[in-house]
Amino acid sequence: MKQNSMLAMVLAGGRGSRLKDLTNKVAKPAVSFGGKYRIIDFPLSNCANSGIDIVGVLTQYESVLLNSYAAAGRIWGLDSKDSGVFILPPREKADANLDVYRGTADAISQNIDFIDTYNPEYLLILSGDHIYKMNYSKMLAFHKEHKADATIAVIGVPKKEASRFGIMATNEDDRIVEFQEKPKAPKSNLASMGIYIFNWKLLRKLLLADMKNNDSHHDFGKDIIPTLLNDGRLIYAYRFKGYWKDVGTIDSLWEANMDLLEKSNELDLSDPSWKIYTEDATELPQYIGCDAVVKNSYITQGCIVEGKVENSVLFTGTEVGKDAVVKDAVLMPSSIVEDGAKVTRALVANGVKIGKGAVVGNAKSEEILLVAEDVEGVK
Amino acid sequence: MAKAYGIVTMAGAHINIEGMMDFRPVSAFSFLGRYRIIDFPVSSLSNSDIENIHVYVSQNPRSLAEHLGSGRIYNINSKRGTLQLLFNQDSRVNDIYNTDIQAYYDNMDVISRMQQQYVIITPGHMIFKQDYKRLLEDHVASGADITVLYHKVNNAKTEFRNCTVVNLNRQKGVKSIEKNEGNVDEKNIFMETYVMKNDLFMELINKSKRTSSILRLVDIINIANEELDIRGIQHKGYFSVVTDFKSYFDSNLALLDRNAQKELFSDDWPIYTQTTDACPVHYFDGSSVKNSMVANGCRIEGTIENSVVGRNVEIGSKVVIRNCIIMSHAKIDDNVCLENQVVDKYAHITSDKTIVTTPDKPGYIRRNDIL
Repeated sequence: MKQNSMLAMVLAGGRGSRLKDLTNKVAKPAVSFGGKYRIIDFPLSNCANSGIDIVGVLTQYESVLLNSYAAAGRIWGLDSKDSGVFILPPREKADANLDVYRGTADAISQNIDFIDTYNPEYLLILSGDHIYKMNYSKMLAFHKEHKADATIAVIGVPKKEASRFGIMATNEDDRIVEFQEKPKAPKSNLASMGIYIFNWKLLRKLLLADMKNNDSHHDFGKDIIPTLLNDGRLIYAYRFKGYWKDVGTIDSLWEANMDLLEKSNELDLSDPSWKIYTEDATELPQYIGCDAVVKNSYITQGCIVEGKVENSVLFTGTEVGKDAVVKDAVLMPSSIVEDGAKVTRALVANGVKIGKGAVVGNAKSEEILLVAEDVEGVK
Repeated sequence: MAKAYGIVTMAGAHINIEGMMDFRPVSAFSFLGRYRIIDFPVSSLSNSDIENIHVYVSQNPRSLAEHLGSGRIYNINSKRGTLQLLFNQDSRVNDIYNTDIQAYYDNMDVISRMQQQYVIITPGHMIFKQDYKRLLEDHVASGADITVLYHKVNNAKTEFRNCTVVNLNRQKGVKSIEKNEGNVDEKNIFMETYVMKNDLFMELINKSKRTSSILRLVDIINIANEELDIRGIQHKGYFSVVTDFKSYFDSNLALLDRNAQKELFSDDWPIYTQTTDACPVHYFDGSSVKNSMVANGCRIEGTIENSVVGRNVEIGSKVVIRNCIIMSHAKIDDNVCLENQVVDKYAHITSDKTIVTTPDKPGYIRRNDIL
């Protein structure tokens, strides 16, 4: 049997309420991204590509779609005899009542029994709502090399933005000496990516203690990491270089999609050596019509374009009618822009129809317009 | 369990597509950018709840075996269903021995063990959709021994010349199935699709072997026509055949028509195929694309008109592509002009080339070639 030395747990329970109407019916990790993907495809594909066989997905908010989606482990190739994706919503147990996950650490604590069945040496904690490509096996090698008790992936952020993140102050060996949650006076520019590797035996002990601590928020950032630091444990910062984005708001989700339009963008979804896997759509290849104009855009299978599309990302099964103009826009799956309609600087939600001749969005607006309901056509 | 199992046949010896067939059988030809021709018969069978399917292949089975896999892509239940590749060794002595009957005969033990009462036989080189569940019901209700499908056309003088036609009497009884002589435009093109009891199928195979070593299934059915009740059912909807290079070229480009697309593809009748996890298509500033189908993974800087472009194709700047089929992983460098060409997989056309032919004689650029 293959040795599963590291098991991954993906925290996918959050609502992502700053995504407004996009997350009314689906949890944030299930939100669409990049034409054909869902956000959770990124951590799950990274796991598959990093050789991790067992992945637990901790879900809570509006999880029906997310649960059924993530349960299809074959999408990411995680369906061999010794591998799998396991959906872990809160559950009632013989010795505990059904309770929501009270925090990120609690979500893991409530599934200690699941993790124990695989008895891994290391536990990888991931967040289900970031866009990036990362080889976790390299991070594990770093963790082992430093004989660390825990390793936290960090990314350099601009100094002036550092106060929005969890900041890691390190010594010259990249050992973490202090953790600052959203600090006013950041001591470094290394932000936590919410990716942790723990030695499972140690973490297990800490979690059992944390569960009983009524003063705890049961959170990795607020409780577990500070405890480890107070105990003088060896925690290292693993510096990640590359594209990483938290798509927590409509603006940042739009921006992350627009990033794909750069000719040699950092995320590079076309790299055959690190594919991002997703659900296969049974749709025709895209059809670009006789009078269509398509410039600087990212368009996927199942789209039908008869009008003009510029600087935009079109998701699976979207349609752009004759004489319609779509500019600086993101059209989520199955949305329709009817003949003569104009969409500018907007994000059109799944299945939304922009009626004939309607005009939505404004090239000069500061914020990106979210169009979450059908817009009636103009006669 | 469904009452029938399915057979997807290999293209007969009369079908020859120079160049492309050196690399794979017709059924494994890439089609419309992301499909292979075999996806159409197998998806139709699967959508009709027929989950035990035999696919016959004799030469170059690699690409077909790779593509079909376990059959899971076709939505076939992985326990109850099977998608089996059945091989047969072509005779080297003489091509006349390489008939479909010989292939069935070689696999008689598999055929005889099938639990289903009926067999549906359908070709791997024709593109159409068909509800086989309904066809089977109609067949059973009619009491006929064999039901065949035909498609009515009004251009048989010039097209479908490598096909056979069904001659019917007024009661839709089949009088004969014969070569399309090209003398009349209105013809019922034989779709090489049969429904019959598996027992009768085996009987015909054996009878055929006893009669002559070079008969095809259609020949023995013509011979047995006197004793059997054979009826024709008309197929309606999109239909095209790939029997030569030109018809391959035309069948692809015909589907650039939105109405043709709607006829062949609908939400309630999915056509399944293998995913390659290619990312969406990236169009750059200089690109101009009109009336074309483009599969995922392409990077496009040039001009494309009236063309079908397969997955992961790279099209450089100032390129002009008209009336072409570009298969997956082809690379077209800057300043290339292609008209009426079929560019096979992984071909690489380096910059500043012009390759133009007339639409009646499309050109072929071989797999892996560098020009």
